[in-house]
Amino acid sequence: MRPATLVRLALAGTRTDTARVVLTALSALLATLAGLAALTVLAIPTPAATDGNANRWSEQYRSGLLVEPGLRGGTAFALLMLTIPVLALAGQCARLGAPSRDRRLAALRLAGTTPGQVTRLVMLETGLAGLLGTLVGLGAYLGGRELLHRPDEQGRLALPTDVLPSTGALAAVVLGLPVIAALATALMLRTVTTSPLGVSRKAARERGPRPWAGLLIGLGLVSFAAVRPVLYQLDGNDQMLVRLVPLLLLAGGLAAMIGVVIGTGWISYTCGRLLRRHARRPPALLAAGRLMADPWAGSRTFAALLAAVIFGAGAAGQRAYFTAQDELDREQNRLVGVDSGADPFYLSTMDLVDAAVAVAVLIAAGGLIVALVEGIVARRRAYAALVATGVPRAALSRSVAWQALAPAVPAILLALTVGTLLGRGLFGRVTAGGSSMEVCDAGASLCDDPATREQYTRLVQTPPVERALEVPLEQLAWLGAGALAAVLVTVGVGLLFLRVSTAVEELRTT
Amino acid sequence: MTQLQARGVVRAYGPTPALRGVTLDVSEGEIVAVTGPSGCGKSTLLHCLAGILRPDAGEVTWRGHRIDTWSEAARSRLRRTEFGVLFQFGQLVAELTAAENVALPLLLAGTGRREARTAALTWLERFGVAELADLRPGEMSGGQQQRCATARALVTEPRVLFADEPTGALDTLTGEQVLTQLVRLAREQRTAVVLVTHEPRIAAYADREIVLRDGLVDHTGLGLDAPLAGGTR
Repeated sequence: MRPATLVRLALAGTRTDTARVVLTALSALLATLAGLAALTVLAIPTPAATDGNANRWSEQYRSGLLVEPGLRGGTAFALLMLTIPVLALAGQCARLGAPSRDRRLAALRLAGTTPGQVTRLVMLETGLAGLLGTLVGLGAYLGGRELLHRPDEQGRLALPTDVLPSTGALAAVVLGLPVIAALATALMLRTVTTSPLGVSRKAARERGPRPWAGLLIGLGLVSFAAVRPVLYQLDGNDQMLVRLVPLLLLAGGLAAMIGVVIGTGWISYTCGRLLRRHARRPPALLAAGRLMADPWAGSRTFAALLAAVIFGAGAAGQRAYFTAQDELDREQNRLVGVDSGADPFYLSTMDLVDAAVAVAVLIAAGGLIVALVEGIVARRRAYAALVATGVPRAALSRSVAWQALAPAVPAILLALTVGTLLGRGLFGRVTAGGSSMEVCDAGASLCDDPATREQYTRLVQTPPVERALEVPLEQLAWLGAGALAAVLVTVGVGLLFLRVSTAVEELRTT
Repeated sequence: MTQLQARGVVRAYGPTPALRGVTLDVSEGEIVAVTGPSGCGKSTLLHCLAGILRPDAGEVTWRGHRIDTWSEAARSRLRRTEFGVLFQFGQLVAELTAAENVALPLLLAGTGRREARTAALTWLERFGVAELADLRPGEMSGGQQQRCATARALVTEPRVLFADEPTGALDTLTGEQVLTQLVRLAREQRTAVVLVTHEPRIAAYADREIVLRDGLVDHTGLGLDAPLAGGTR
């Protein structure tokens, strides 16, 4: 097949196919922006140490997250974390309009297209949509960089608009993301057989998912809990720390997240089984059937949301740690007669992290809407037939709500618990004191003068204090409520599509 | 006694007319076949009679009550309680077992779960597919699925069964078997059947045949009772 024909066929399709291409491109755009932002932060050069800048700070920026070299890695990591819900959104978008695409592909097979050509067509569609998104994303990044380059009176910048990642890094993002998307599509098509008579997928597993998730979650928790002892053990051995601690954090975080996502499959199956056993009304029975038939749908649908909730719960633990540590430090200072006031730096940093979590929840909600609508559209003929036989649309709406909410509530609770436990593994207690410090009781002029300072200085011993951190229940409750609200809103939006999908015209489609 | 009446029913899809004034009566226990070439308005007429679609003009009455003016909810209730609807394919809920699919209309009507399952098993038995009770539609053949769908359409013992090409997706032998069972059971419980088909062989199971052409009744005739249809006319 000639390349032009391949492109023409790849881009042929209905409005739903166009919507899928646009949403895939949008996901790629968002992922590009997040990736380029992270690379830009990492591209900030660290100046050489001088007498006036022993800490090697990049003083040209306003935000401490960009100024301090030690914080830039974490900032870039947080920005990269935003790509997780974005990639999940892309995954959901790839499923949008699948039934009509399946029919189109079957028609192409009937016309003589080979299975390999069908796979290449689908890969090309995803790859081109991804490339469109990354190119627009690159344009938005370069344009935004120019627009936001506004130094203040001291010549400091709000964002690192004075640096650019290397050309290789830019190319890797712009070209790499579409290639990854296309390869992921090819991987997903491995379970699909497109014949001239239609598209068939390998049968879903008959047995429900096994609770392996617990093992992964446990591994994640142990990894996080091991970070502090490792830090104590390897104190001074920087090379080992550089390798081991980030590895523990990355592996532990990933294991816990994958564990929760897999666990959602198990939760969905168990909820379905319980509903099937105890349900009295058809909506719950319909939901139970669907939850048991494809428990992994819950994992796919909620993956991004649960990742955001885990991250948010961990961040809530970190905020609680910073708040408690600041309070304890101030108490210690007051004991020696110094009122240093609150240190808002780390708490304002946590505001940024919370904002990132909120953005992640919003992106995840977008993915939820796509998944829900896709599920409704895929079953539109069965829904239309049920409505035609007199099943009230309200009963179908309730079944959709049951299907979304039954696994969502326990899954969100699990994610909150795991996120909190991960956070507590790192920040379980706050400590202060246990040392002596010099306190000068006179004014600045006397204290600064070496001749008089000693006369007014006293040595104060502060007692060692260690406190357990309280669980930030209020913040966790808000996070859980926010995630649940996102699910409820998406269910509401998804139900708007139910009416369209139950139109009698659907009975005429094949 | 006439139960269901259509008077001058008109229905169009945008600028394309589907029905241009169809008049039809269906009596209690009567089996009426609606036939005609593709695009003549057969399915649209069935949908209007069943209250799935509202006609643009004309009226549809059920036991003397105009149902075309009823709300969507009221018409849904009517279909749930008095009517049964059967399509060509794709009507079973893929995630529910055969017994659960058949029990669904009863559960919707408020029947207890155990009672609904017992009734579902009885109907599956009548159609000879009781052993499939715990299988899902994906695990059955097309003919088995259609038997389950027919059992579901009859489980509430409706007064009228609307069947739109019920054997269209089946091979000849399986189609005959399904239709024979359907007609026999409908006659046993005096359920009227409105049967849309384009196959004269299927129409032969009916008591009366209505032939549509270009959205109008072309002519009406007597069906030729098939050897296995059983019952009396």
